[in-house]
Amino acid sequence: MINKLTRILKLLKYKNENDKKLKEEDNDQRQIPQSMAALRKALERTFYDCNDYILREIDIGDTKEQKLLITYLDGLVDKKIINDNILKPLMIELDKIDYKDSKNKKISFDKIKNKLLIVTALTEINTYKKLVDAVLAGDTVIYLPGNKRALKLSARGGNVRTVEEPTTEAVIRGPREGFTETIRTNTSLLRRKIKSPKLKFENYVLGEKTQTDVAICYIKDLANEDIINTVRKRLRKIKTDAILESGYLEEFIEDAPFSIFATVSNSEKPDIVAAKVLEGRVAILCDGTPFVLTVPHLFIETLSSADDYYSRSIYSTFVRLVRFSALIITTTLPAIYVAMVSFHQDIIPFKLLLTVSASRQGVPLSAFSETFIMLVAFEFMREAGVRMPSRFGQAVSIVGALVLGQSAVAAGIASDPIVMIVALTAVTAFVVQPLREAIPIIRFINLIAANVMGLFWMSLVLFMFIIHLVSLRSFGVPFLAPFAPFYKSDLKDSLIRFPLWAMWRRPRGLENQSRKDNEFRMKKDIKSKED
Amino acid sequence: MIKGEKISSLQLSVLIMGYIFGSSAIMNPSARAKQDAWLAYIIGWIGGLCLLNIYLYISQNNPGKNLIEILKHYFGNYLGGLLGLLYIWYFIHLAALVLRNFGEFFSTNVYTDTPMSFLMLSIMTLIAYLLRKGLEVLGRFSEIFVPITFLQALIVSISLVTLFNLDNFLPVLEFGFQPIIKASFSILTFPFGEVVIFLMIFPYLHKKKTIKKVANYSFLIVGLILLTITLRDLLVLGPDMFARYHFPPGITARMFPLLDLDPLIDNNLLIGGTIKMSVCIFAAVTGITELFNLKDYKVLILPVITISIGLSIWLYEDLFQMHNWADKVYPYYAIPFQIVIPIVLFIIIFFKNRHSNN
Repeated sequence: MINKLTRILKLLKYKNENDKKLKEEDNDQRQIPQSMAALRKALERTFYDCNDYILREIDIGDTKEQKLLITYLDGLVDKKIINDNILKPLMIELDKIDYKDSKNKKISFDKIKNKLLIVTALTEINTYKKLVDAVLAGDTVIYLPGNKRALKLSARGGNVRTVEEPTTEAVIRGPREGFTETIRTNTSLLRRKIKSPKLKFENYVLGEKTQTDVAICYIKDLANEDIINTVRKRLRKIKTDAILESGYLEEFIEDAPFSIFATVSNSEKPDIVAAKVLEGRVAILCDGTPFVLTVPHLFIETLSSADDYYSRSIYSTFVRLVRFSALIITTTLPAIYVAMVSFHQDIIPFKLLLTVSASRQGVPLSAFSETFIMLVAFEFMREAGVRMPSRFGQAVSIVGALVLGQSAVAAGIASDPIVMIVALTAVTAFVVQPLREAIPIIRFINLIAANVMGLFWMSLVLFMFIIHLVSLRSFGVPFLAPFAPFYKSDLKDSLIRFPLWAMWRRPRGLENQSRKDNEFRMKKDIKSKED
Repeated sequence: MIKGEKISSLQLSVLIMGYIFGSSAIMNPSARAKQDAWLAYIIGWIGGLCLLNIYLYISQNNPGKNLIEILKHYFGNYLGGLLGLLYIWYFIHLAALVLRNFGEFFSTNVYTDTPMSFLMLSIMTLIAYLLRKGLEVLGRFSEIFVPITFLQALIVSISLVTLFNLDNFLPVLEFGFQPIIKASFSILTFPFGEVVIFLMIFPYLHKKKTIKKVANYSFLIVGLILLTITLRDLLVLGPDMFARYHFPPGITARMFPLLDLDPLIDNNLLIGGTIKMSVCIFAAVTGITELFNLKDYKVLILPVITISIGLSIWLYEDLFQMHNWADKVYPYYAIPFQIVIPIVLFIIIFFKNRHSNN
């Protein structure tokens, strides 16, 4: 007993000492050393073996007494700015102004800061940790010995992707631009759409190793404070080594981690994110990925697309109904076929029954097995289509069309109707892109249920999914919101889309209680004539 | 009462509708009155409306209290507790009866080779899952599915319009009033009087003021739907077949030429049955929680569900016993729970109110 206790005490002591050591190394409050040699030594120890690290000392002024230190990471900075706007003034154009302090004939820190450097974004930093962080983030740091402060200059550059049309979320009509991997570009894209000082970007740095910039974006007084606070709280709780993509963030902040339905949506298009932010949602931007998250995410968003709002309302209603029926077909059609063929032959109209049984003649497998095999084959093909290099595309499509379609029937492994059903299932699966991760799982569970007990179990499985969906919440908002709980005014933008002027109320689930301007569009009075 | 869970007026409304619709989707006690079934039905419906308003009066005078609390309040801890225990028994028994109806319908109509207990077990597993998610989820579930149920019932009714034979109404009052009164009494106790269970649900309503309007409107709407179904079955099948079949709607749906509409009826029963049994078990479970001052009702769900499955298997030997019970025993068995105790409560509350006003 005593032995054990002493061991635990020892462990605790050791842990404390270890923590102390670690703390001294990354003490946040550690000052910047005052002498050049000390700082140099400290920096060289921090950036030991980093061959992209650049540290340069230059002489300034006439005398060789005064030196200045410039440090940055190569590849993250714009060298032209450093050469023209920082080095040139410091080394050449210094003589043109009266730089010397009247007292000690030395150049002062403030003069460099205020008169010499031709850089707009310039901030003072005063701890060693901030200095290192600034260098890592791609900023340039200038240090003048004898000061407790250093200057951080934003001269970020390097190779980044330009704004291009995103390959996912294709639209017929609407802006062609898409987010890029740089968070600053992304915030600028949003700011260009919403020119209001109320559009806020709150910055977070997450990931202990990656130090990824994450920003939450919302419109003050319009987004529900509760939702913003929940996002803040969940982001602050994140403790991880790396945030490489917004998918990492999603997993840490979502409400139902084991659900097959995502409760956080993502988009690559600034107009979609801007529209969602304008409805009162919160966007989460993450450096290093073009996918921006928006919360709360409701089921109904998966059925809508950006061009619904840019095309005529009747057409977009039609398209939404098409998408909804595609969702139903792609999840249930194979299961319904199996249930009908193996349990409910009596409800198939007689002539159809004849055709089906004629084509199933000679197929050695049960309806379930052949459907299952064909669906699995399709899943393989889909996955291959995503992963393979595009040059193999033709080979795979020939194999897919001929081998799995025609010759499976010719070989007597699958019947004709099943090929058609699988094809229809496959095509409709691509219609509802945002649910692509949930659809195959629902489909297979349905299929197995149909094979166990026909339509009875299929209904039970459907009920189970609906129970799961209605119990889900995304950041406090019920996931199936306009339907259950039923919000009459939100139905205008659900399976049907009313004209914009008729949807004059913001979504009720996202409503800000203290907000007065819940009516955000003019209500058009159809009867009144133009003046 | 369990705190925290609230349902909206619309959710209460769909719960009432789904609950009444429940097993009435397949069984129709008014069929005993043959061609006068519609008359018996309407009399029972009006009687049900009176009962509903008695229950509403009780609930409105004890806002935020469920039936067990009300009983304890007016009859004292011992007698009230005993009556509460009886009600809990009634709720569990009701769930078992509905489950048996459900199982008999599916095992005689659709899955003739499947053991009935397997069917019961499947649906009860779903209900356990549903109830563990809470009353709010049950309300939202009903919000989605009850409109679908009514749509399906109307689709079946409308597609059979061509088979309607208006001669089936005749001759009116062939056997006099007695069978009509008997049938209407059956209709009163099943399904309308069973709304007494909502005395356990009313306290969860978010806006207490709407309760009377909501309950009455939903009662009328579901009454109309059931009247449509009664008329449809009578007009399509004729009085004799209507009275003779165990599950008239299941047969009616098969009368449509070239197409079998039976899955729609099955689905209606599934939805209605799920809602009805969920409400019953929820009431039983919250009643037990209230009676024994427990904290969480969710731990009781599985035991109570298990009891009701066992009970429903032991209830009858076969379908005929079930019909005998439903026709001859159940109306009298339900009298104390649906009529006597509520009316006694009503009288006590009424006189207490008058006393306090004076």
